[in-house]
Amino acid sequence: MLKNYFVTAFRNLARNKSFLLINVAGLTIGIASCLLIFLVIRFELSFDDYHAKKDRIYRVTTVFDRSGGLDYSSGVSVPVAQALRVDYPQLEVANMMSRGNDMITVLEDGKPVKKFRELKGVFFTEPQVFKIFDNKWLAGDPATAITDPFTAALSRSLAVKYFGSWQQAVGKSIVYEKSQPIKITGVFEDVPENSDYPFGVVISQSSNRSLMTNTDWQSTTSDQNCIIVLPENMSAAQFNNMLIAFRKKHAPESSTTLTKISYHLQPLNEIHFDERFGTYNERTFSKELIRGLALIAAFLLIIACVNFINLSTAQAVNRSKEVGIRKVLGGTRRQLVFQFMGETFIITFIAACLATVVTWLMLPFLSDLMEVSITPGAGQIPQLLLFLVAVIVCVTFLSGFYPALILSGFNPISALKSKLSAKSIGGLSLRRVLVVLQFGIAQVLIIATLVVISQMNFFRSTSLGFNQQAVLNIPLPADSVSHSKRNIVRERLMQQPGISNVSYSFSAPADFGAWSSDFNFDHSPVPINFEPSLKWADTGYFSTYGLQMVAGRPYIESDTTREFVVNETLVRKLGLKSPEEALGKEINFWDGRIVAPIVGVVKDFHSNSLKDEMNPVVMGTRERSYRMISVRIDMSKSKELLAKIEKIWNESFPDYVYEYQFMDEKIRNFYRQENQLSQLYKVFAGIAIFISCLGLYGLVSFMAVQRTKEVGIRKVLGASAANIIYLFSKEFTLLISISFLIAAPLAYYFMRDWLNKFVFRIDMGIWFFVVSIAGSLCIAWITVGYRAAKAAFANPVNSLRNE
Amino acid sequence: MINITNLEKVYRTDEVETIALNKLSIEIKKGEFVAVMGPSGCGKSTLLNILGLLDDPDAGSFVFNGTEIAKYNERQRAELRKHNIGFVFQSFNLIDELTVFENVELPLIYTGVKASERKQKVDEVLEKVQIMHRRNHYPQQLSGGQQQRVAVARAVVNNPKLILADEPTGNLDSSNGNEVMELLTNLNEQGTTIIMVTHSEHDARYSHRIIRMLDGQTVTENILI
Repeated sequence: MLKNYFVTAFRNLARNKSFLLINVAGLTIGIASCLLIFLVIRFELSFDDYHAKKDRIYRVTTVFDRSGGLDYSSGVSVPVAQALRVDYPQLEVANMMSRGNDMITVLEDGKPVKKFRELKGVFFTEPQVFKIFDNKWLAGDPATAITDPFTAALSRSLAVKYFGSWQQAVGKSIVYEKSQPIKITGVFEDVPENSDYPFGVVISQSSNRSLMTNTDWQSTTSDQNCIIVLPENMSAAQFNNMLIAFRKKHAPESSTTLTKISYHLQPLNEIHFDERFGTYNERTFSKELIRGLALIAAFLLIIACVNFINLSTAQAVNRSKEVGIRKVLGGTRRQLVFQFMGETFIITFIAACLATVVTWLMLPFLSDLMEVSITPGAGQIPQLLLFLVAVIVCVTFLSGFYPALILSGFNPISALKSKLSAKSIGGLSLRRVLVVLQFGIAQVLIIATLVVISQMNFFRSTSLGFNQQAVLNIPLPADSVSHSKRNIVRERLMQQPGISNVSYSFSAPADFGAWSSDFNFDHSPVPINFEPSLKWADTGYFSTYGLQMVAGRPYIESDTTREFVVNETLVRKLGLKSPEEALGKEINFWDGRIVAPIVGVVKDFHSNSLKDEMNPVVMGTRERSYRMISVRIDMSKSKELLAKIEKIWNESFPDYVYEYQFMDEKIRNFYRQENQLSQLYKVFAGIAIFISCLGLYGLVSFMAVQRTKEVGIRKVLGASAANIIYLFSKEFTLLISISFLIAAPLAYYFMRDWLNKFVFRIDMGIWFFVVSIAGSLCIAWITVGYRAAKAAFANPVNSLRNE
Repeated sequence: MINITNLEKVYRTDEVETIALNKLSIEIKKGEFVAVMGPSGCGKSTLLNILGLLDDPDAGSFVFNGTEIAKYNERQRAELRKHNIGFVFQSFNLIDELTVFENVELPLIYTGVKASERKQKVDEVLEKVQIMHRRNHYPQQLSGGQQQRVAVARAVVNNPKLILADEPTGNLDSSNGNEVMELLTNLNEQGTTIIMVTHSEHDARYSHRIIRMLDGQTVTENILI
């Protein structure tokens, strides 16, 4: 029996090659997209899920309640961990870790031989860190490796990079920035990519004097994380309650500050998904995004299944004779359902096999796009296979069941007398509904894609209020020797033809990681109730970035802070009526440590991405805080200038590693995740349209065959080719228009939500919708038109002769 | 073997009511060869569909082998049909995707005969209708007469007690037609009951009895032997 089914199925499929092709192509693309999205989601969900104590590991985070709203930080003040250990000895582990800078020098026989910049992975931490996270140790003892000052453990790949092989690393030394030599005491296996704690160089916290002497309970940076492991019998809620008393005891609220600080536990399994706090990888993946992707995967699969249902029910007429014969010869309905489901299974199976190959081929591209390697390891293969089997079963049922029911329900008498036509078989209206569904989904995706792309263009093209073009950002080492060379370096750079401006500053006008602080304004005893960004920079900053003054003048050049310039937003936030009113007023930072008058107001510029509000900004000179050099260059000579700048830099700062970034490149990085999203949307919207059109083409081809006689008669009676093409496209035009009416409000609703995340955003103009419906219609007409034209230009004699 | 009494069948559309069978009563004995004749629309095909358990009557009694089956549901009819009745159609109705052998094998598959036994039975019956040499061909590769011989083979492979033939020679030329009629006669001589709908007086002469129908009723019966 089975053999007979398979034989019929294969011969049938072979006979209807175009239908097979369309079905397999659609399903292959649908399943492959599904698999790829599954791999992405699986990867993102797997972050840090491999630690034995994962359910008891928490990060202590800080929430600032300011009058303007809540601010979130993944960090806590440095003394928190030690105080937690003392106050709550029942905690299994409480550990502080601080991200370090990137300069590592490798020593051999006490002499520096190689320098490296480790952009992530350098940490200062306490020894108990290895009791929290599961790292496999290759050499050394995790319990004692970093207990002493100036000891460090390395990941396997860094050990290989520094010393040739990890076996030789232990006992060797490295230097962090300009520290004394740090001895390597252990090597651990590389941290997997799905971890937000990417340890590379783990240096004992006792090696860092500023951390060891830090008793400041007020300052917080996101670089300093406190991770704890709760005892088995304690819940996060219980400990959160204890943290209220803890905060009151150690960091009492002063009467003058309006900011309330509170500590909260964040479970390890939420760290990767909560963009309010961020991670050491500078990358979070919101649950919302995961749901969005899963939805897209389901959509694509549904679209592919719809093709299958449409084509199979339309094609059912051709199978009616077979159904009739089988029924006459004693086949039951159940047997026939089984037979047709079997055929669906064969097609799905073929598609799934091809999809696996396609997925495998596409993986490198997707990994590139997502900037992570999502290639599954051998351990994930069973999980992947299980998913694939689930997809096959789902698709077989979704797409096979309805056609099987229709086919097996034929009355054998009508079936044998060929009295069945595409119209008399149920499902014509269902086919219409499905086409509407298909194009509805496709149009939601088209509109979403257009909105995302436009918002990205908006990000790229909108002026941030300063000139971001052709400015090079280079680091300025922090030590005093390097700082003393500032003027010489500037002179050497300015001598190069093509370099017009050189400026020293703490950060770029818009930059990652801001320094912000409140101050007392105009002799007020109470500090202001917000924290402006501090932009320490020399006078050249204004010309280098083309900042414009709206009142007063730029401050004069000085090594210390003698004068301030503020921006318009700050003036507004202070409640002053005009920029002029701010001139001459005094700003007092940190209880009189820096006091100076405002001498100018600069036109507003964005100090962070367009996703966020315009920040209030205070600018002033402060030589000791400068960390970067901004160089404006003539882009037509960029190649030679880049080489010259690198040469000058290396000669001036021989102990450090050179790197550079163009300002506009840095700004693009603000929108990395949005950019990835827009790429994904483009691809998936394209796929949705393609699969839908594939189905449309199949449906129209079938209609053309079914209506050959009708077309012949119409032509004999005088219909033109245009009339015939109209006949075919009329219905689809109507269906796509209906699908648009459903898709447009849905897309509007979702995308308005998405846009609302950004403070500076585009309007959802009417043209998104016009382009979507016009585009869908055009594509559909092209698809339908080709097949319809073929039918229309056929000689009617041929089609009527068959009668 | 078959005893129908006051059988009625009415086809209704929104506006028209067509009486296909009007209190029809017929008795057919085991081993008979009966031809049913009449003009188009007289109810021949409806009668054949009901006799073949493909359709159910609206009223009346249908006794098959001593059992009343007028009220059987589809599953019961299918069960009875596959063990007792073989069909031969005017348009052959072979499945294009299956070979000659596989087409003839189909009824055996549905009655659950084992593979080895199936092969033997199919080969036997193909031998009998002299189409053995074409057993691996597809229907499109055969002439009309050959296709109808395959259809006859398929109808008898299960050893049915009754064969229903709906204008078996309608699509054939006279020599092929005669071959098929000879085949049916042979089967009848071996004990199979045959009911044949036909327009051809020539074919009807192969039967024992001709039932002539008009407007859903029998008008005359001619006994030929």
